[in-house]
Parts: sequence; C-alpha cells; structure tokens
Amino acid sequence: MADFSVLVIDDEQEFVSTLVRRLRKRGWESEGVLTGGEAILKIAAGDFAVALLDMRLPDMDGSQVLREIMKINPQTRIIILTGHASASEGEEGIRNGAFDYLIKPVEFETLLEKLQAARERSP
Amino acid sequence: MQDHSMTSLFDRLTSLFRSKPRLKPAELQAAFRSHYKEFRSLLTANNNALELMAEMEQVLSAGHSFGMAFIRGNCTALTVNIYKMIQHLNRLADGRYAELDQPFRDVTRRLEQVIASRPVITEGVMILSMAEVDSSMVDQVGEKMANLGEVRNRVGLRTPDGFVMTAAAGRHFTQANDLQVEINRRLKGLDLDNLEELYTVSAGIQSLIANAPLPKELEQEILAHHQQLVIDKDPELLVALRSSAIGEDRSNVSFAGQYRTQLNVSSEFVGQAYKEIVAGKYKSQAIVYRQQRGFRHQDVHMCVGCLRMVDAAISGVLYSRAPDDPRSRFVMIQAAPGLAGNVVDGSAATEQFRVSRTAPYDILGRQSGAGQVGGGVGSLLTLTAVQAAELAEVGVRLEEHFGTPQDIEWSIDQAGLLYILQSRPLGRPAAEESSWPRQHDSKEDDLPPPLLAGGVCASRGVGCGPVFTVRSSLDLLRFPKGAVLVVETPYPDWASLLDRASAVISETGQMAAHLATVAREFGIPAIFGMKQALAALDNHSLITVDATAAKVYEGRVEPLLALAPPRPNLMVGSPVYKILVAAMEYITPLNLTDPASPFFRPESCLTLHDLTRYCHEKAVVEMFKFGERYGFNDKAAKQLVVDAPSQWWVIDLDDGFSPDFDPASRYVDLGHIVSVPMLAIWQGMTAFPWAGPPPVSLRGFGSIIFQSTRNPGLDPGVRSAMAAKNYFLISRNFCNLSVRLGYHFALVEANLGEFLTENYVNFQFKGGAADENRRLLRIGLIADILNEFGFRVEQKADAMTARIEKKPGSFLLERLKILGYLIIHTRQIDMVMGDEGMVAQYRQKIMTDLQTFLEKPETAEMEE
Repeated sequence: MADFSVLVIDDEQEFVSTLVRRLRKRGWESEGVLTGGEAILKIAAGDFAVALLDMRLPDMDGSQVLREIMKINPQTRIIILTGHASASEGEEGIRNGAFDYLIKPVEFETLLEKLQAARERSP
Repeated sequence: MQDHSMTSLFDRLTSLFRSKPRLKPAELQAAFRSHYKEFRSLLTANNNALELMAEMEQVLSAGHSFGMAFIRGNCTALTVNIYKMIQHLNRLADGRYAELDQPFRDVTRRLEQVIASRPVITEGVMILSMAEVDSSMVDQVGEKMANLGEVRNRVGLRTPDGFVMTAAAGRHFTQANDLQVEINRRLKGLDLDNLEELYTVSAGIQSLIANAPLPKELEQEILAHHQQLVIDKDPELLVALRSSAIGEDRSNVSFAGQYRTQLNVSSEFVGQAYKEIVAGKYKSQAIVYRQQRGFRHQDVHMCVGCLRMVDAAISGVLYSRAPDDPRSRFVMIQAAPGLAGNVVDGSAATEQFRVSRTAPYDILGRQSGAGQVGGGVGSLLTLTAVQAAELAEVGVRLEEHFGTPQDIEWSIDQAGLLYILQSRPLGRPAAEESSWPRQHDSKEDDLPPPLLAGGVCASRGVGCGPVFTVRSSLDLLRFPKGAVLVVETPYPDWASLLDRASAVISETGQMAAHLATVAREFGIPAIFGMKQALAALDNHSLITVDATAAKVYEGRVEPLLALAPPRPNLMVGSPVYKILVAAMEYITPLNLTDPASPFFRPESCLTLHDLTRYCHEKAVVEMFKFGERYGFNDKAAKQLVVDAPSQWWVIDLDDGFSPDFDPASRYVDLGHIVSVPMLAIWQGMTAFPWAGPPPVSLRGFGSIIFQSTRNPGLDPGVRSAMAAKNYFLISRNFCNLSVRLGYHFALVEANLGEFLTENYVNFQFKGGAADENRRLLRIGLIADILNEFGFRVEQKADAMTARIEKKPGSFLLERLKILGYLIIHTRQIDMVMGDEGMVAQYRQKIMTDLQTFLEKPETAEMEE
C-alpha cells in the first residue's frame, strides 16, 4: 500500500510515534513529523496521499500549514485532527480544502474508516 | 476598640436599667444605629440563607441536572450565612447567644459528613483472570466484567477468554503519575453548554492520561496475563479492550456507549489501549452524561477487560424482552454479519427477529433493516432457526439468572460457537408505559399530512424544533439547543448532543444502537431508519417529530405536542441526588415553629433552617428590647399623626426628621418627615382608601378558623408583643418598614443614595390567615404584579421576596408607592382567593388603581 501513505503532523511525540506504528501495523504506510516546517518539506519531497494535521504546532499555525500543503500538492487529503475544538477554525479549514475535521481523541477504528473514505475519494 | 466602648456602654446602661437610662438623644441614636447595622446585616444573611435553601429545594423537584459542585457550593454558602447570623445576633445581644455555637457545630459537622461521603475505595489485586470473576466483584472489576464473569462462571455460558485490569490497577496508574489533581483542576468551572470548551477540556484530559507512562509493575503484569491468552498456534493474538466502569449499568443507568472499546488490538498496543480506555472516563459525552444523571466523577472507576477477539461470523444484540415493553412474550434479536460493534454503533444494516420465549423457541417474525422480509431473493438471512432458538433460550436463562430483563451482546464465530460478550439489565423506557400509550388516540384526520413517515421508533415521544443536520464533528460543535438532530448514522459519539436535542432522526440504525438506548433513557423521541431524512428535511426548518408513530410534520403540531409526556427527572435516585436529599435533612426541616413554646431554644435547633429561624426571631426581639431598655418607645419612637394618632410609629435613625422637629414630642406629623422613601411608601398606602375586608364565603371563613386553631403562630398575640406595632425606621434616604397587618407580615426596605450601585428596594411578604392554597394564590397575584413592574421576584411556598437594585431614585420611588399600595390593599384578600374570578377581579382593580396614581407622580412633591 505504498501508493497510499499517511503523514501524521502533531507536536506530541508520543502520540505521533504510537499512531504511526499502529497505522503501519494495519497496513498503512505512514510517517510522522512534529512541526509545520517539517511537514511542508515532507509533502514537497514525498508522496503522501493523506495528512493528519494537528492545528496547534510549535512553529506554525495549523491553518497556515494547511494552505501551504494545498499549494504544494492540492491532491493531498488533509484530515484535521485537533484537541482544540473550534467551529470557526474547522470551518476555515474546510474552506481552505481540508477533507475532514475530527476532534481528538478518535477511536483508531474510526480513524481507519476516515482514511478509507479519503482513499476512496482520492482523485 | 469599638467593642470595648460598646461593652462599657452596656455595663453602664445595664446598671441603670431599672431607672431607664437617661441617654442624650445623640448617644441613643449612635447606639441604636450600630445595633441596627447588625440587625440589617443579620437580615441580609437570613435572606441569603433562605434563598439558598429555596434554590436547593427547587433543584430537587425541577429535575435539572446538578453536580457535587452545586451541593458543596450551596452548603458552604449556607453555612457561612448562618454563621454570620449567629455572629450578628451575639453582637446585638452582647454575646448572650453563645450556646448557639454547639447546635451550629453539630449540624454543620453532620452536613459535612454527608457531602464528603466516601468514594468507593478499591483495594485488591490489579489483575484478575476472567475465570476468577463473578458478580460479587463489582467493586473490583466494574459492572460489565462482573456480569460477564457471572455469565461465564456461574451460568456456564461461553465467553471469550481474558482478564480484567481492576479498579486498583487504574488507581495505581493514576496515582503513580499524580494525575487527579490536574484533572480536577481542568474540570473545575467547565461550562458544559460551551461545546468547544467541553471538547477541548475532554481532549486535554484524555491526552494527559493516555500519554502518562504505565508503572513498570503494572505493565509487566498486563504482559504476563496477555501471554497466557496465546494458544500455541496463534499466529498473532488479537484482543478487544472493553471499559467496565464501576457505577456503570447500575439500576436504570446504561452509560451505553459512553466509554471506549478497542477491537483488534495487537500485543504491542495493549498497554497504550489500556491507558486510552482509562482516559475514556473523560470522554465529552461521559462528562455530560454523569452531570445529567447525577454521578460524581470521583465515584466512577474505570476497569478494563482484555478479551480474546472472537472471529465472528454473525453478531448482534439480544433483548430478553422487547426494549420498549418489559412484559413482551418474545425475545428480540438484532443480527448482522461480522462484529457486534457494527450493530451497537448503529452502522450495520441488521435483521431483527422476534422469537418465542418458550421451547421450542419459534421465530415469530423477522424484519430486515429495509422493511418486511418476504423471503425474497437477496434478503438478509443472518440466523438459522436453530441459532435463533439457541439465542432465545440463552436470553431467557440470563434473565432468570439475573432476575431482570437483559440486554445482551453476542457473537457466533466461524465454527458456529456462541459467545456472550456482555449482559446487562435492559434499561426501562424513560416514560412510564401506562402514561404513554404505544399508539396515539388522536385521529389521523386531525393532523396535517406528514412530511415523512417510516423507520422504527427508537425512543417514543413527540418533540419539536428546527432541523439541524450533523455530518461531521464540525456540525456537532455548532448544534443549537432545542434543535432536532438529523443524522445519517446514529454513532454513539452524537450522544453528547442529547441534552441539547429535542428529537433525533437517523436515516439508518435500529433500536439496539447505543444512541437509541441513551435517547430512551433521556426521554428524547427518536426515529431511526427513516429513509431520505437528510434530503427531505431542510436545515433550520421547524418540524414536529412524532417518534411513536414514526412520522415527521412541518411546523409545530400542537395536538401531537400536547400528548408528549414530561421529560423524566433524570436525577432522581442518582448518587448526587441522594447526597443532596440526605444533606437536606440537615437543612430545610423546620422544628422550631412556635416562638412561644418552651422548645424554642438553641438546643432544639436540629437543622440550618431552625438556626435561621431562631436567630431571626431573637434578633427581632433583641432589636426591640434595646428600644425598651433605653426607652426608645418613649423617646425615639414617635407615633405618626395624620388626622389622629395612628397605628404607625416612626423612629428616626439619623436625619429622617426635619431640623425644626421637637425631639421631645411624642408625636410626629408628615410635615416633619423628610425621609424620601418613607413618603413614597406612605403615598402608596394612602392613595386609595382601603375597601375593608373582602366578603368572605362561609367556606373561606371556615378555612381561616381551621388554620388558626391548628397554627398558633398565626395569632399575632402569641408572637413577640413588640411586633404588633408597625415601625418605620428612617433616615433621609433610607426606610425600613415592618408591618404586621392582620395575619400577614411584610417588610419593605429601601435605600436611595447618591450612588446608583447602593440603591435598592427589598420587599418581603409572608403568611396569611387562609389555607395554603388561598395564600399561594394571593402571593401569586402579588408576585405577578411586581414582576410586571420590574421586580425580581422569588417565591417559595407562601413567602415571597421581591427586589430591585441599582436603579435611579425616581424609578424606585414609583416602586415604593406600588408596595405601599399593595401592603394595604391586599390585606385579607387571601380569604376570597379560592375563586379564580375574584383573583382576576382583584388583579384588574389593582392594576387600574396603580396606573391611575402612577400617571401623576407630581403629587409626591406637592405633599412635601
């Protein structure tokens, strides 16, 4: 499933490493980064079909990262996965091209369903 | 220092007691003023205390949800106010009520014991094998796992192998990381109505818990037990981790789907999954749910079952009776291919069976999610007759074993073996069967044609509100209060909206879905499996949902809404509710009813209400005793002369009389009174002549006599003698008027100062001679009128307080006139209040009078 890989962008190291290992275990190629800067570099260099994006990052605002990713690779399915529920932030994200908006914590099985949905609607 | 000079003054005065102290008027005034200050503070504390008590009583009957914070906060505030009353009374009476200290301590100590009531202490081993668990271990492994152990070890049915991480394990984990303080800090002051805040705080707490490391010894024990589940040839063991909260599934409380379950967990993630499920105690919907149902966070402990995954061919839910009819003669089965989770999370299309409860357990009916199955090609055929019979027998057996209808989750594996995954008491529908018919009586032709019809009734009832479609977490954050929740799939996550929704419509799902269970528990009407709902219902359009008939109408349909049963009081019987009820034992009962009784003593005070009553009564006595002692009846209290000496007495506290008034005079006329608030009240009192007592019907009069014989407190003669005179205590900007007219007691206090923030008018009204119903009608009438004039009115039983604060003087003067009028003209009208027509008639007359004199406010100035 290397043709469909997931980039996990979140500043919580523990969360990122666990999620990446879980995704790999269930057959989803995935990598994790802890900052917005790294995320943009990864998207530019690699081939990620989905990005799971936290909105609170140490170096950049999540919505800025979202816009940058959409510029570099508009095909990317971005799923916002945030611990800071905010309707306005979510609306802005969807307007700027996010594929879905989820509030942490999400059951792993639910997340897999969302990834499946992203895969099915992948261009 | 002031206390010292006060004491010496008292000493001096006491020695002169017999020959009446000859104080200079200025000294007398100063002493009186300082006492009066204490008295006023005592009255304020008294009012606060009574209001707090009324609020607590109201919360018990109204069915609003409340938490421990409410109970603790109110009890603390109450205690503080009563402590203040005792302090003020002692200062008024030179410390002569020191013996109040003991009953106060006793009552508050008992109250504290009730409120602090011990959370369950969970001792014992951190891990128990399922082979060792039975229902006696509820406090170690939680309801869900205790029941499952019972099913396995006592009933002898097949359940998945596994083990439980007990409450002791959870406590060890939380304590080792010192999490509780931080969790409590984040929960404090959380506004449950603010969904963004709720979700953010919930996410933060869960991540705090999920990221904390497992203590080494616990991690090792978990791994060791996990290893034992591996059977030789297992390529890789997958387990399900299931929450099993202590406090969950008890009585009628399902906590359905509130906590987390993780399926297909491989060995390396067991520790992480365990932490996440422990963290699930703080899922947003669980926080809301506990608040609504009256559970304390501290009493809920998260235990976690770790069970080998069943390689399921078919799964589902089995009700030993129909969920909406506990007397049904059949079991009900929902079945779907695959895992049981698909059935309860509402996502799978299921087939429903009704199977006889007696051998040979015939199938009485089957229905697919799409409607009746006619046995046609392609229809879902999940269970064979043999499997259905096996399930029915199991359902009946479990019901017999547990003694109550059961809600059972099950799976049949690829080898055809039946596994029980969970068995719990079937939640009762919130509305009582008898009061809520299965079918409406209202005739179809009374109703407009429905917008939509179809699907199943997942929770009965009728609701009305604007449509709000929820497709994502984003919509969830924007869900308005009172809207109709319209969804495609009834995910358990939407449960956090049920305290805001007036009804639920889902395109898919059936009555076994967790969301349906919670809807039934909360008494929220719900239709599931209603096709095309999303397309047919416009967002924000107003609809009426008749869940009982599975129909949706445009707009408000009053005939249907009139049939809706009241929302159940969800708090009744819950732990928090019980604590408040227990606390109220030491708060509201009034044992000191008769001040003339020899039992009217500090030792007789068994409740906070007794203490307030005692302090209040004694403060009034002390206040007037002061006057008697220093002769203020002779010197300070002047009898008001209008045409002739009246029943009204006036005491000048400061500058309420004009400078040319002769202090030696025993009388005062209106011309010498410069107290602005007093003059306004007086004007209201005298604007219209009182028509005299209303004509009393024989029945009304009989009721008065009956009340008088039963309640000696009604006779003014029995009460403190000094209360029989009516006093105005005045200064230029201040007036306190206490009135005992006939059988009722009224108190007006007003301050109209230089600063808007200090301005207020307070009015209290209590009592009456007639029976309770008539008194309540009168209070209702007065409250109604005052409300109309902008007073903040609070009423409890036959007592009422009304107040206005921080308004300009001119506005308050008008209000004082109204109060003056009401004090005079509502005298004894309670006696005729049995008659609704009379109420309306009085209301009409009062409003006309008030409008007449409020239209010419200049008369006030003219009189001055």
